[in-house]
Amino acid sequence: MNLDLLVRAKTLGFSDRQIAHLTRRTEDEVRAERKRHQLVPSYRLVDTCAAEFEAYTPYYYSTYDRGDDEVTLTQTQKIMILGGGPNRIGQGIEFDYCCVHAAFALKEDGFETIMVNSNPETVSTDYDTSDKLFFEPLTLEDVLHIYEREGCKGAIAQFGGQTPLNLALGLKRNGVNIIGTTPENIEIAEDRKLFAAMLDKLGIPQPPNGLAVNAEEALVASHRLGYPVLVRPSFVLGGRAMQIVYSDSELTHYMRFAVEASPERPVLVDKFLEDATEVDVDCIADVGHFTNVEDGTIVVGGMLEHIEFAGVHSGDAAMVLPPHTLSQGVIETIRGYTHAMAKELRVCGLMNVQYAVKGDTVYVLEVNPRASRTIPFVSKAIGVPLAKLAAKVMAGKTLKELGFTAEIWPSYWAVKESVFPFNKFLGQDIVLSPEMRSTGEVMGLDADLGIAYAKAQMAANSPLPLKGRVFISIADAHKKDLVQLAQSYLDLGFELVATNGTATALEAAGIKVQRTLKVLQGRPNIVDLLKNKEIQLVINTPNGSAPREDEVKIRTTAVMTGTPIMTTISGAKAAALGIAALQKHGYSVKTIQEYF
Amino acid sequence: MPKRTDIHSVLIIGAGPIIIGQACEFDYSGTQACKALREEGYRVILINSNPATIMTDPEFADRTYIEPVTPEAVEKIIIREQEEMHRLGATGKLVLLPTLGGQTALNTAMKLHHAGTLERLNVEMIGAKADAIEKGENRQVFKELMLSIGLDVPISGTAHTLDEARAVAERIGRYPLIIRPAYTLGGTGGGIGYNREEFEEIAKRGIDLSPVSEILVEESLLGWKEFEMEVMRDCADNCVIICSIENFDPMGVHTGDSITVAPIQTLTDKEFQIMRDQSFAVIRAVGVETGGSNIQFGVSPETGRMVIIEMNPRVSRSSALASKATGFPIAKIAAKLAVGYLLDELRNDITRKTPASFEPTIDYVVTKIPRFAFEKFPQADPTLTTQMKSVGEAMAIGRTFKESLQKCLRSLEIGRSGLGGDGKAWRIGTDFIGDRDTFPRDLITQKLSVPNAERIFFIRHALRAGFSIEEIYTLSKIDRWFLVQIQELVTFEETLAASVN
Repeated sequence: MNLDLLVRAKTLGFSDRQIAHLTRRTEDEVRAERKRHQLVPSYRLVDTCAAEFEAYTPYYYSTYDRGDDEVTLTQTQKIMILGGGPNRIGQGIEFDYCCVHAAFALKEDGFETIMVNSNPETVSTDYDTSDKLFFEPLTLEDVLHIYEREGCKGAIAQFGGQTPLNLALGLKRNGVNIIGTTPENIEIAEDRKLFAAMLDKLGIPQPPNGLAVNAEEALVASHRLGYPVLVRPSFVLGGRAMQIVYSDSELTHYMRFAVEASPERPVLVDKFLEDATEVDVDCIADVGHFTNVEDGTIVVGGMLEHIEFAGVHSGDAAMVLPPHTLSQGVIETIRGYTHAMAKELRVCGLMNVQYAVKGDTVYVLEVNPRASRTIPFVSKAIGVPLAKLAAKVMAGKTLKELGFTAEIWPSYWAVKESVFPFNKFLGQDIVLSPEMRSTGEVMGLDADLGIAYAKAQMAANSPLPLKGRVFISIADAHKKDLVQLAQSYLDLGFELVATNGTATALEAAGIKVQRTLKVLQGRPNIVDLLKNKEIQLVINTPNGSAPREDEVKIRTTAVMTGTPIMTTISGAKAAALGIAALQKHGYSVKTIQEYF
Repeated sequence: MPKRTDIHSVLIIGAGPIIIGQACEFDYSGTQACKALREEGYRVILINSNPATIMTDPEFADRTYIEPVTPEAVEKIIIREQEEMHRLGATGKLVLLPTLGGQTALNTAMKLHHAGTLERLNVEMIGAKADAIEKGENRQVFKELMLSIGLDVPISGTAHTLDEARAVAERIGRYPLIIRPAYTLGGTGGGIGYNREEFEEIAKRGIDLSPVSEILVEESLLGWKEFEMEVMRDCADNCVIICSIENFDPMGVHTGDSITVAPIQTLTDKEFQIMRDQSFAVIRAVGVETGGSNIQFGVSPETGRMVIIEMNPRVSRSSALASKATGFPIAKIAAKLAVGYLLDELRNDITRKTPASFEPTIDYVVTKIPRFAFEKFPQADPTLTTQMKSVGEAMAIGRTFKESLQKCLRSLEIGRSGLGGDGKAWRIGTDFIGDRDTFPRDLITQKLSVPNAERIFFIRHALRAGFSIEEIYTLSKIDRWFLVQIQELVTFEETLAASVN
C-alpha cells in the first residue's frame, strides 16, 4: 500500500476499518501494514498550557500528527480499565461507577491504572481517578495501541457494560490478557446453546424456548411454546427490540419490521411467564483462582425483588432489597442456583443473574458474568463496595484475603425506582415493556418498606399524593384485583373516579365512585380532569398488547401534567402502602453512614 | 484571601437521578467539590437520591443522605445537622452550596430561599447568592440587565397567559418564534413556532410546564452561529475564561444536542476578544461572586451582530466538557472559590507552578457529539429543537478538527468507524442504502435543512452526490469552514478508494 496515502489517511483521522474497506483489505492487514512502517499514533498531554510548563497529570490523547510523544514510561505493573463510552439508555452511569471503583481498588493494591474512555460526562475521565487517563475511542484499534504502548499486564473488560465486552474477544485474539472471568466463559452465558447445555447439566430450569432465523421458524416455535412468548434479537443490552407477543399476526409483524433475523443472528423465542415475580441477583466470586472450584468463595451481594411482574425490563422495574414477598424456600433455591452457576462458569469477579419465580419454581432468565447495572445500588444498600472488591479479585486477591465471605441481609429496606424521559418525547406511550427506556434511577432507604417506596417516588419526582382523587382504569385481565385495590385507596381517604365499565364493577361491589367520560364519549372527560389537576393519582393498566388510543391519551396526559401514574397493579399496591405509611408518621432522614 | 474560618459544615445538593439534560456530569462536579472541600478541612454533608453516583459513596462525604432532593428533605437535613453540630460543639456555621448539582440543586435551593427557610434557619448560600441566581435564571430580568450594561439581546417578551403570548408575538412581528419556559430543565416544553397555530400550541404547553407559569417569546435566531464561554470569577473580581466552545449546529438546536468544538474555530481574534470582554461584563453584572458560569452567544452570519442568549450561574453540562477539554478542574476550583480563596491563590494541579488564574491554552481541537436514542421512542418526533433529546455524548481530541471529528464519530458506538467509507450500510427508516451509494437528492435536502441526529453524515452524502458547499450552507446554515473540512475528508475518501482501482 502507498505509504504516503496511508500517512495522510491516518492524519485525517481515518480508522483502520475505513481504510480497510476503501482499499479492499481487512482491518488486521491494515494494522499489520502500518506496524511494518512503524506508523503508530503518538500520545500528547492535555496540560492547560500548550506544553509551556511541565505537566504532572497524565491525561493523554492520540494523534497521527507525529513526533513528540509525551507519555512518561513507568515500570509499575499496569492494568487497563475499559470504560463504557457515551451514555445511552441501558448503559449509563452505573457502569462508569464500576470502572471508577476498579481504578481506586487497583491503585490501592499497587498497580498502575490506565483508564480508557470517551465520555466527558464521567468521573472515570477525571484525571484524578486513574494513574493515566487516555481519552480515546473504545475500538479495537485505539485500545490495542494503548495496551501495547503501555505494556499492560492485563485489562478489565467486564465493568464498562456491553461496549468493552464486545471488544473482549478481539482484544484477546490480539494478545490482550483479559483478567477476571474468561471471555470464553462469558461466551457460555451469552450463547444460547452453550447456556442451555450448562443449565441442563446443573439441573436448573429455564423457561421453554426456541430459536428462529426467519418468520416461519418463529411461528413454529411460538406454536410449540404457546402464546404469549417473549421475542428478542441475540446479543443486545437494554432490551432493544424485545417484545411480548400474543398472536400470530403480532409475531409476523415483529419478524418483518422489528428485527433482522439471520442464521448468524437468530431471534430468541421464550415462553413468557405471565404474572411471575422477577428477581435480580448480584454476586461476587473468586472461583477462577482455584483448580478445585470447591475452594473458591461465592457471596451473594444482594437479591432484588422486582415490584412489577415479569415482562418489564430489569433496568426499568422498581425493585426492593431484600425481597419482600419471597418464601425462605425460594430464597434458598435462588442462592443455590447462583452458587452452582458461579462455580460452573469459574467466575472471577461479578456475576448477575435474572430469575423468574412462578409458584415455587425458580427459572433462570439470564446470566451475565460481569458488572451489572444494579451493582452500585446493591453496594449502597449493603454498605460494601462490590465493584471495588471484584476488581481486586480479578487482579489476583481471594475473597477470604479481602475479608468478604458472608452475605449481608439488611434490616432496613432499599427501594430502587427508575426515572423516564417521557416528558421529552411527548406522544410516546409510557407503558413499561421489555424494552428499557429509563435514563436513571433513585434509591429510597428506610426501616419501613412503605416509607422507602414513598421516598423513592419523591426522589423520582413523582411524589405520592396524601389525599385527593384517584382515577382508576384497569385492564380486564386485572379486574380480579380491582375491588381490593379500590377499597385500599378509599380506606386511605381518597375519592375514586372511573369511566363506565370500571365504575359499574365497583358499584356492584358496593364501592362509591364518581363517573367520568372516556375521551371519545364527550366532554368534560378524563383528559380534561387531568389537565385541570382534578386528579392526584392515575392507576391505568394496559389492555393487552395493542393499547387503545384513549388509554394512550390518558397516560400521555398524565405525563404532561405531571400527575403520578401507576401502570401496573403491583405498583399501585406499593403506592397504597407508601401513602399509608406517610399518612401515619411522615418520614425522617438518615445518613448512609448511620445505616451501616 | 485565605479560606473562610466561620464555616464548619458545607451542605452540597446533588442533582438526583440521571435525566435528559442532567446526566452524570454532575456526579463528576459534585465528586470534585466533595474532595476539594474535605481537603480544606470542612465537614461535608451531601444529599443525592442517585445511588449510582460516586459522590454518594460513603467515603466522599462526612454525612451522606441518599434521600429525595426536595426542599422538604433538605430542610429536615439542615435541622438535623445543625443539632448534630451543636452536639459536636462546632463553632462555625452550616452553609449551603447549590451550584454544583445542576438545575435540580439550584431550584431546590431557590425554593428554600423563597419560602424563607434559609433565613429562618440562618443558612447562607455560598457559590452564588439568591439574587445573582435570580438575575441569571429569570429571563426577563436577565435581558433587562444586559440591555442596561449596553449588551445586545434577542428581542423578546415574557408571557404568563396565552393572550400575553399573542401580544408579544405581535410586537416582534414575524415568525418563526422561539418559546422558552422559565425554570425548566434542558428546555423542557420549549420549541419553535413556525406559524400562529404552532406558536400557540407550544406557548400554552410552555406556560403549563413552567413551575412559575412563565414563558419567554423571542425573535428567532435560527441559522445564527452559536458560541459558549466558560467563565470563572473570584470574590476579588478576578475573571478568567476557561474555555471557548463553538456549536457546529447553528442556533435552533439545543446546545446539548449540538455537535460542539473547542476552542472556537470560526471567529476572528477581534470578535473573540469582544466576546471575552462581554463574558466578563455579564458575570460581573449578574453578580456571580465566586465560581463558574456558562454564557451563550449568538452571532449573525450576515451582519456579525452578537447577542447574548443566556447564562447559567452554576456549574453546567458545558463546564464538565470544558474541564475535560482543557484539563482545568472547574468544579474543584469553583468549590474552593466558594469558601473564600482567590484564583491566584490556587495552584493548577497539572503544572504545579502556575496559579488557577492562568487561562488555559490548548494546542489541539476537541469535538463533542451527542448520542441519541430515538429507536426507543418510535412514536416521538426525532427532529432536533431547542428541547434537549440526546441521552449521552462522546468527546474526542485531535490535532485538527478533521482528526478529532472522525475519532469522535467512531467513539459514538453507533456502528460507524468514522464519517463514512467503512462498508456499513446506512439505515434510513426501514430502508438501507449502501455505504458508497449515492443518496437521493430530495432525501439529502430534507436531512440537511431539518436538524436531525444524522445530519453530520448527510453532509458527506451531499458532497458525494455533487452538492456544492454553498448549497449545503444554504440548507443547513452550518459554517462554511466546517463544510470545507468535511469536504477534505470526502475528497480523500475518494482518493483512497480510487487508489486500488
